[in-house]
Amino acid sequence: MKVEIKLNEEWQNEFLSRIEDDGPWTNWDLYKLALQAEEQLSIPSFDGLQAPKHLSHLTPHPHQLEVAQRVVEEMNGKAILADEVGLGKTIEAGLILKEYMIRGLARKVLILVPASLVSQWVTELNQKFFIPAIAQKKSYVWEQCDVVVSSIDTAKREPHRSIVYAQNYDMVIIDEAHRLKNKNTKNYEFVQHLQKKFCLLLTATPVQNRVEEIFHLVSLLKPGHLGNLENFEKDFRAKNRTLENEEKLRSLINKVMVRNRRADTGMDWPKRFVKTVPITFNQEERQLYDEIYKLKEEPGIIKSQFSIMTLLREICSSREAVFMTLKKMLENENCTEYTEAFVHRMMKLIENVKVNSKAEKALEIIKSIEGKVIIFTEYRATQMYLQWFLQQHGISSVPFRGGFKRSKKDWMRELFKNHAKVLIATEAGGEGINLQFCQHIINYDLPWNPMRIEQRIGRIHRIGQEGDVHIYNFATKNTVEEHILTLLYEKIRLFENVIGELDEILTRLGMKNIEDHISDILLNSESDGEIKIKMDNLKEIIAFQQHQEEDNDATRRYS
Amino acid sequence: MQQEDIHNYLKSYFIANNCEITRENNGLLGVQLTIEMDKEIMNRPFYWHYLEKTGGVPQPMELSFFTSQDYKKEKGEFIHFGSPRLHQIFNSTKKLASYIRMFEEASGKPGYNMPLHPWLCLNIKVSYQCDRKKDRLLSLGIHLISGAVLDNFHSLLEKKELTPKIPDFCFTMTPIIKPLSGIKRLEAVLASVIQADNHSWAEDAHKRWAADLDLLNLFYTGNEDAESYQVEKEALRKQYEPVIKADIINGGMFYLTPQTSVG
Repeated sequence: MKVEIKLNEEWQNEFLSRIEDDGPWTNWDLYKLALQAEEQLSIPSFDGLQAPKHLSHLTPHPHQLEVAQRVVEEMNGKAILADEVGLGKTIEAGLILKEYMIRGLARKVLILVPASLVSQWVTELNQKFFIPAIAQKKSYVWEQCDVVVSSIDTAKREPHRSIVYAQNYDMVIIDEAHRLKNKNTKNYEFVQHLQKKFCLLLTATPVQNRVEEIFHLVSLLKPGHLGNLENFEKDFRAKNRTLENEEKLRSLINKVMVRNRRADTGMDWPKRFVKTVPITFNQEERQLYDEIYKLKEEPGIIKSQFSIMTLLREICSSREAVFMTLKKMLENENCTEYTEAFVHRMMKLIENVKVNSKAEKALEIIKSIEGKVIIFTEYRATQMYLQWFLQQHGISSVPFRGGFKRSKKDWMRELFKNHAKVLIATEAGGEGINLQFCQHIINYDLPWNPMRIEQRIGRIHRIGQEGDVHIYNFATKNTVEEHILTLLYEKIRLFENVIGELDEILTRLGMKNIEDHISDILLNSESDGEIKIKMDNLKEIIAFQQHQEEDNDATRRYS
Repeated sequence: MQQEDIHNYLKSYFIANNCEITRENNGLLGVQLTIEMDKEIMNRPFYWHYLEKTGGVPQPMELSFFTSQDYKKEKGEFIHFGSPRLHQIFNSTKKLASYIRMFEEASGKPGYNMPLHPWLCLNIKVSYQCDRKKDRLLSLGIHLISGAVLDNFHSLLEKKELTPKIPDFCFTMTPIIKPLSGIKRLEAVLASVIQADNHSWAEDAHKRWAADLDLLNLFYTGNEDAESYQVEKEALRKQYEPVIKADIINGGMFYLTPQTSVG
């Protein structure tokens, strides 16, 4: 190696001028202390971690230290941190960032997180890691502060975007990175054009629906690691996948991704007890459900099957939820007379519903439990109804939504912890809040994406949980909900076995199972047109369902 | 750095900066700052500005540091390795102690004036840096008369008795090599010392770089004009390019008795 050394000229000039002026000179003790300080701060080895000795008050779990060391030593500072929810990805990211800062390899750092998590990140980095992170509030912050935490939505918009691109970031950290699985989004494009010397992508759910998602995530981090899209699709698309290919893919992914599962961590995790709670509709609810179900045979009243599925799922939740959707249909300008008549007919049926069977069951369970309970529902209307309903029975509850500001989230969490028995959360409320003081979850209605259920459970089944965790899954008999429960959850035994192993996920997602298609359509269609095209296939798929279930029963019998 | 070492470091730092130690116990240190030290570490320019404008009586702060958990309930700052305060003090030390001139305590006699030879010492931090990093500290001294260079010069100095004022009956010899030339010579010596080191780390970094670059090129085949391609390429350079940096920590002139020249 050709070595050229240039010592700092500034020092030399100052030194010569002090010789000229005969001082001022420092004293011998201070001079020695300066060297002593430098000895403490200098990095003795390329290997190992310096961060822990700077963080004596923090006791990271062994798996967190291992991750940090592996990312620095084997992954060259570019990694997807994909531990299961609750294992402390933030701590791992903090350790890695601290390590690079101590080594002087990272100074300018950009941390992109959901808006609701900005202040939490800032607090954790400052308090746990002594990293002077600043929340981006004014545009001068980008240039003047070294470690900035912001939401992608802010950063990607002008005037910020240009300023952000002009910064030379040494490290970029992105939390909840599964939001970047779609390469055709503005967010993806924004991150792709960021200069990423070191980069950490944090997500508990690296693959939610399709194996392509991991391709896009890895290609953000390390383009070419999984080849280009063309080759990737050829080799790893579900249809063409061979065992050999799958092994290859797994080993490639493992080079850029670390994923710890609870079982691997060697920690003593509380148990999960899962109970399916069947709900029987009362007569009025059943009538409403059946009327809407009939629509499937009569296309035209409601344009897309998507809406029918939505309505059906809503009925299983609460009459309030259906009501809101129907009301929106009336407000839609394309609403035909025919539809209008239908909606009014349905409204009548809704009025007939006097008792919510699920809510009654929830009440019964809540009363039988001594501790606190979290109810997850997919619908805002249900959330508000439940709050009112529980109040009628003298049970205090607090609502929780993803859209709450951080301060409000913290406040609600405190209210729940200290004053209320029940927390009612909508789906979006799942990320970024820790409720380990609670041991009971009621899944009032179930999301169609298995990974989201894991995120729900992860709110309480995480480091710090001392008791066993109880999960109650509500499913209304003879409805779409029951199908979902059987298919999605019982079949893959989601609740008992934490889905974690990547290859397992990939295999499962590669299967032509109905849940793939349903959640794929619902979650990934962006236009009505797209939904329609995909929905044309849905009938066929629904016809499949029965068949699948039979298969399923058969497998269960033999397993 | 053990908590006890930190305690000692703090104490030495404040004493060396003329601050009064107001109380000291095992793991506890009370310090009355001087005006200069208050300005140096307390970060309250408005207070000092206000005071100078109004002509009030300056009241530099008194601080308590504790290095043992026993004092957690006391008012004060708990200092440990990694705490921002300690790192601030480390940096302050380095800033305040960049340049020195010392004389060896020598016993000349009336009628026999002892010559003291000029040495220039540089303490240098060398960093090997790619996507990983390692530092190496060197202390080099050059005899400004003969041009002889000694390694580990600082440890040699630590064994000597030094004083900031020229001792009685001693005189300093005028350097034949000017300080600036001395620095340049040390620079050359440093380069050859580093050259001789094992640099497999840099070769490895080049390999990692090349491997990632190959993948990147593959990814952008047929799409080489993409803006992100250039961005990613540049990112790889910044990530992996091996660089050697050398910084002077501190240094100065030392006038030593003739024995030192032998080494």
